[in-house]
Order: sequence, then C-alpha cells, then structure tokens
Amino acid sequence: MRPSIKLFFLLSAFLSFTVVYAQSTTDSIRNIKIDALVGLQFDLIRFVVKPGEKLNLVFSNSDDMSHNLLITKPGSRLEVVNEALKLGERGPQLNYIPNSPNVLWAIPIVNPNQTRSLSFIAPKQEGVYPYVCTIPGHGMVMFGAMYVNSNGMLPDLKNDTNIPVNRRNDDASILGISHSQHRSVKTKPLHPYVPVSPYFYRVFIDGASPAAIAVSLTSDLSYCWDAGTCKLRFAWTGGFLDNSELWKGKGDVSAKVVGQVFFRDKTLFPLSFSPDKAVSKLDYKGFRLINQFPEFHYTMNGIDVFELILPTADGKGLVRIFRIPDVKNRVWFNTDSQDGVNYISSHGIWQENRFRLSANEAKKFSITMYMKEGGLR
Amino acid sequence: MNNKFIKCSLLIYVFIGSQPLFSQKINQSYVVETIKMPEGLTAETGAVEFFPDGRLVACFTRGEVMTYNELSKEWKLFASGLHDPLGILVVSNSEILIMQRPELTRVKDTDDDGIADVYEKVTDAFGLSGNYHEFNYGPIMDKDANLLIALNSSSGGGSIRSEVRGQINPLGREEGSKGQMFSNLPYRGWMMKLTKNGKLQPFASGFRSPNGIGFDLEGNLFATDNQGDWIGTSPLHHVKEGKFYGHPGSLVWQKDWNRGNPFLLAPEILDSMRTRAAVLFPHGIIANSPTQPICDDTGGKFGPFSGQLIIGEMNKERIVRVMLERIDGELQGACIPFLDGNGLRKGNNRMVFAPDGSLWIGQNAHGWLGDQGIQRIVYTGKKPADIYKMNLTETGFDLTFTSPLEVSSASNPENYQFRHYYYKYHNKYGSDQYDIQNVPITDIKISNDLKTISLKLAFLKPGYVYELNLGDIKTSSGEPLNNKLICYTLNKLKPSIP
Repeated sequence: MRPSIKLFFLLSAFLSFTVVYAQSTTDSIRNIKIDALVGLQFDLIRFVVKPGEKLNLVFSNSDDMSHNLLITKPGSRLEVVNEALKLGERGPQLNYIPNSPNVLWAIPIVNPNQTRSLSFIAPKQEGVYPYVCTIPGHGMVMFGAMYVNSNGMLPDLKNDTNIPVNRRNDDASILGISHSQHRSVKTKPLHPYVPVSPYFYRVFIDGASPAAIAVSLTSDLSYCWDAGTCKLRFAWTGGFLDNSELWKGKGDVSAKVVGQVFFRDKTLFPLSFSPDKAVSKLDYKGFRLINQFPEFHYTMNGIDVFELILPTADGKGLVRIFRIPDVKNRVWFNTDSQDGVNYISSHGIWQENRFRLSANEAKKFSITMYMKEGGLR
Repeated sequence: MNNKFIKCSLLIYVFIGSQPLFSQKINQSYVVETIKMPEGLTAETGAVEFFPDGRLVACFTRGEVMTYNELSKEWKLFASGLHDPLGILVVSNSEILIMQRPELTRVKDTDDDGIADVYEKVTDAFGLSGNYHEFNYGPIMDKDANLLIALNSSSGGGSIRSEVRGQINPLGREEGSKGQMFSNLPYRGWMMKLTKNGKLQPFASGFRSPNGIGFDLEGNLFATDNQGDWIGTSPLHHVKEGKFYGHPGSLVWQKDWNRGNPFLLAPEILDSMRTRAAVLFPHGIIANSPTQPICDDTGGKFGPFSGQLIIGEMNKERIVRVMLERIDGELQGACIPFLDGNGLRKGNNRMVFAPDGSLWIGQNAHGWLGDQGIQRIVYTGKKPADIYKMNLTETGFDLTFTSPLEVSSASNPENYQFRHYYYKYHNKYGSDQYDIQNVPITDIKISNDLKTISLKLAFLKPGYVYELNLGDIKTSSGEPLNNKLICYTLNKLKPSIP
C-alpha cells in the first residue's frame, strides 16, 4: 500500500468512515436485499459484512429487463464480465455465468418483477468483493461492492472506486442518483438552441389529457391547451416547465409546472352553440404559428373554430382571439366563477357567467382573462 | 497512407483484441463514420430520413426536428416541441409527416423560412393513456399510398393517467398483474392503416413493442418486436391484415371480440390463434432489442445484399441482416450479424439509405441500453466474404456465399456446427431455449462454382431455430469470413416435390 493511500484510510477512519453494522453475533443469518432498478443499476451499491458471516442475499428486479448477479473474487469484476461475453451464443442457456474460478457465487437471470435468493457464508479473507450483472452490455455500469471486514467500515462514498462513478455523489440510495442527474440537467443546455418565448412542448402534464400542448407565452406566463379536449385547460405564472424527468423516457412521469397556476377551466366546454351549454362534437385539427404564437384549429359539429392566445400588453393576463368564420347562429362563451380569472369580451352580452354573441360577432371576438383577486380556488 | 491506416488499426486491434467487447475483426468492406452533432443537442435519435434535395432530417427525444447538410456540415432547426417523435415520412423539401406520442402530425414550412409553421393533425384516432411505454412507430407508405403506423402496448411497469384519451376497456389488462404489457385503450398493440381518405383502421394485432416497421422490395410488410411477456425471443413478423402476432392484450380491440379477457385464455388457444414470426432473433445471440427493418434498395451501392433486410439492434454494437425465402407459401429465413463493432455504437434505432447508398443510423437509449448520435456506414467496394443466403432444402440447408470458397476448409463437416432449440410461447418474461441439441451433418456437397454448400442434417424439426456456427472457412483467395454465426427459423419444412 502506498503511503498516501494509507494516510487516506487513516484520515477517513476519523473523518468519514461509516459504521454500517454493529452486530455482535455471526450465528444468525443476515438478510441483504438488492433490487435492480431502471437504468442498469443496483439500488444497493455497497454493503459491509463480517468475515464468515452467514448471509441471505435476496435479489429482486424492478427493472423491465432481465438481470443476473455474480459475486466475484476481489479485483476480478471486469475479467468475469469479459468471460461472460466470451460465452457467445451459449450465454443465454448458461445465464451468462462463466465457468470461472473468479466467480464465487451467482444468482441466475431474474426477470422483471421476480426475486431469487442466495444463501452463503461471507469469505474469511477480508477484502472488497464486487457484485455485477454480466448480461452483455450491463457489466460495465451495473455493479456494486461487498466489503468484507471485521471493523464494519466503508470508505468515503466520494472516493469509493469500487462503485459506479455516477453513484459516488450521494448516499447509497437511489435518491443519490436523481440528485446528481438533476444537477447535471440544470447545467447542461436543454436544446441546441436557446428557447425564446413564445414556444411550446407537447407533453404529459397533470391537469390535462395526455395530448396536451404547453406554451410559454413570456418567460413569466404560460398555458396548457389540450388537443385531447380542444380547450385551454390552465394557465400559470412564474416560469414554464421542468421536463427533466419526462425526457428520461422511462417510467410514468409528467412535465412539472414551474410557477403558480392562476386559471383552470371548469366549464364543460367554453363555447356553446345553444343556450343549454351542450357540448358539441369536437375534432382537433392542429395549429399554425403566427409570429410563433400557436393558433389552434378544431371543429365543433363540423364548424371550424380557431383560437389564438396572446399575452396581454402588461403581460399579466391572456387574450384569447376566437375566429368562427362560418358560424350561422348565436355563440355562448362559458366561464365558471371559480376558475380564478375575470373576463372582458370584445363583443357580446354578459349573462350568468356567459357571454352571448351574435353570429356576426362570433366570426371574430376576443376574450381577455385577468387574474382575480384571491386567485384560483 | 491507406496502408499506414490499416497498420495502425491492426496495432490497435492487437492491443484491445484480448477484450471480447472490441474483439470483432476489422471489416474492410464497411467503414463506420460518426456524424458531428450540434452542441447542446441530446441526440437520442427518433428517426432519420432524407429530403429529396439530399438533406438529412432527424428528430430527437426532446422534440427537435433538425436538418443536416452533408456538404456544409451544417445543422439547422426545422421544428420543435414534439412529444417523443419516433418516425418521419418525408413528403417534400418543406413538409414531413411525423409520428409522435399523441398523433401523427403533418409538419410544414409554408413561408419558406426553413422553419415549420404548421402542425396539422393527420390522425389521433387511437387511445392514449399517458403510460410511459405507449410509443408510436411509423409512418410508412404502401404502394397504394396508404400509411401504416404501429402502437406500442402499455407497460405493466407503469399505469394509466387519471385522464386518458379514448374509452377504457378493463379486459385488455390482466387483473392484479404487474409485469405484463396491456391494452386498456383502443388499438394499443396494433398496427394501423390510415387510408387515403384519412380513416384509421385496425390492421393487425398482438404487438408488444414493435419498434420498427418497414417493407421489402416486393411490398411485404414487416415489424420487429421486443422479447418479454409472450415474446420468448425478439421476432421479425411478416405482417398481414387481420392476423394476430402473439401478445394478448390487443385482442380486446378486435372487431366483435366476445371472449372476455384474453389473458385468461389458455396459452394453447392463444397459440393456435397467432401467426408465428418469420424470423426469430435468438436473445443474447443475435439481438435483444431489434429495431427498424430496412430493405437494401441501393441496387449494389451498399454491397452484395441488395433486396435483403438490414435490422438495427439497441443492446449491442451491431446491425443484423435478414435473408428470407418462401417455403410452402410463407416467408421464413435466417438472421446473421451484418456488422459488429468497428466503431459502431449501441442503440441502433433508425436507419435510412442516403442517395449515395451509405446507411445512416440514428442512435437512442431512452432509459434502456443504447447510445446517442448519428453514424453512417459506407461500403468501401471491397466485396465482403460472407454468407449471401441460407436456404432450406428437403434434408438440410444450402449456404450460398458471396465468393467461391477454398475447397478443403469448405468441405470439412467439422466446420459446420449446427444446434437447434425452440422458445416457449407463454406469459413469462422471455423464454429459455428448450431441447437444445447438436444436429450432426450427414452429408456435404460443394457446387461447381464453389459458392454453394449443400448440407444434409441428421434431422430437421419445424418450430425450431437452427443455429449454425462456422469454423475456419476461407474463400478461394484465402480470406476469412466476416461472420460465422447464422440462425435459421424453421417454421415449415420444405415440401418434397413429388
């Protein structure tokens, strides 16, 4: 051992060694649980046992692909990974477990949502015993370390070269990963360009159907228009979206609203062709960008409706410009007193939380929405 | 200069040759080049295609659609904000169809500023639950100008959102199950046909994760699928209208379905309903996550395999080649590695042939095993020493090579190690190989042109994969073969000619 490393271990003993267990007996069998997680990783990336301790390793698989788990002799993880690769077309039938003196114990392939366990006695020889998934492609990143020693100590996580690099930033839990990835998302650019408002993302977002369109009107004002229901669903101030979880692509996740929602549509549908608020047959058609602002297009009972949403001049409210060029009859614009905003219409008569517009007025009209005192309830 | 390069490569090969990860031999027929991507782009590639004017168009996980001019090496933004786009069909130099999560969308630049300003719905007449696995694939156009798209089943590892698009049918999911893929909303797990008049019709069912659809030169339609529940090993399906390809959830959306929850049907019943795959990719041997099938339509610009299918693989630094033949009226055939390593990355998700005949590959990972970026494979003009095709005979197989073979190595039966096995059709995740047996060669013949080897096998059983490992066979000019492993999916025996 080089002096510097010796010094490090000595220092670490005082400063950052973590006592992981304090068991007095080796007679009982200790359970160790390791779960395979999404993203080619074990949830537990290191643990410490006493020499000769009786162990029961329970290996579960929460990922949606198969994994195995091999415990190898100290320092021979990569060799075992390569030996497994060399099995070639015989790999699957052998569970990618090479017949090698470097493999001490092995749990064969565990499919998603299955569990297998292995009972064994920890080696008498103190050392760092790697464990690894040897399915081709997995072994370079999906591994951990079983520390066998009698003092129950582990080196500082940050300096532990026996665990994957991306797990050295935080504690051994999965939280460590998401924290570190979160940090990197913030420092990396989101796109090969700097998005400038107005711009949009089609996303999964709470409070709308899965066919939602989120639009940043200004850096401080955003809304969600839902192509699944053909209407403005909600609007917010204070920022736009955090898509970092959504873009990972795996697992049920949503884009997160950054800021405060001040409007949420609570009508059956904002436009009616009859006094009874009956919902027409809706069909989403698409949108075109007008000075980068989307103008949405859908049909109500086959009649074309266009909706362009702009920020008000002071940037504190929304102007919704509707066009229904072919409308032949009266149109009602419905609101709800609990939806968080006050309304001003360019045309029409206000009656019981609705604007009534003549066919001629409905060909083009605008609705301005301002945040109500007290906001959304 | 060339010599120097080869020497240098050989030297590198010697150093890293002991590591199997990189131990593929240098392929002198195909060169892999890496395309420089724009800074700031998370280049998880959902599709690559070419405009008629020769520009590449590609889309990426975070919703960008970008174009690339190969001469100026310039990337430009064409569209943005799309949701997980995984397919592009080029209409013109200013218009594309793009398959994203919520819909098939027509994206157009109507004011000629190079940036799209119209995003029209082409179809959204399918269910959407918000489950993370509901990827959509395609579109591709058939010879009658209909479009085909494929809809991934939903993952049992996830659920459905409180607000969905479409009418929920609870029968499309196994009660209490956690792992199995499901279809609670219309046409998840289906391939769909969009007719010229805009009607989206169910076309074929039983797909789990069909991340790749395409046609061959004759207009046969193909889809790959991914190993998992009900899919013992990843297949290539020859897709025909009205057929069921094995994953049960989607059956609830079959017209007049009246047999309740399909997950409760006996596996034997489901087995009798399904159409078997044309080709199986043995898991861990050929491919674990095959992607797009693309037909070599370059007429020789990409080498000698014109008309055959090239298929991407996510989990390995590999591209696979498929050769098919019609036996007793149905397509079946063999798969063989086409290119391993040689600088190729993992995550080979989408492919397209450039006008010059090079193969461009978009790479992706998306939370699974894979990679990022775009590469291209260029044929150097040096004919690869390889198996050109593998054909079933009444008693064995004919192997036809790209070049004449050296007789003594080619006629040695020791150099042909066959084994066979089958995969079970069941609800478990993947299947082991069953009844693994070595299959002895009982006779061997070499053709007059020294290109075709006729092998007689001790037995041939339908329903098995015949895996062949070649020994040290050389061409008559002393060249070793590029690939020594090939797997033939034997669905049907060759009928004997009376």
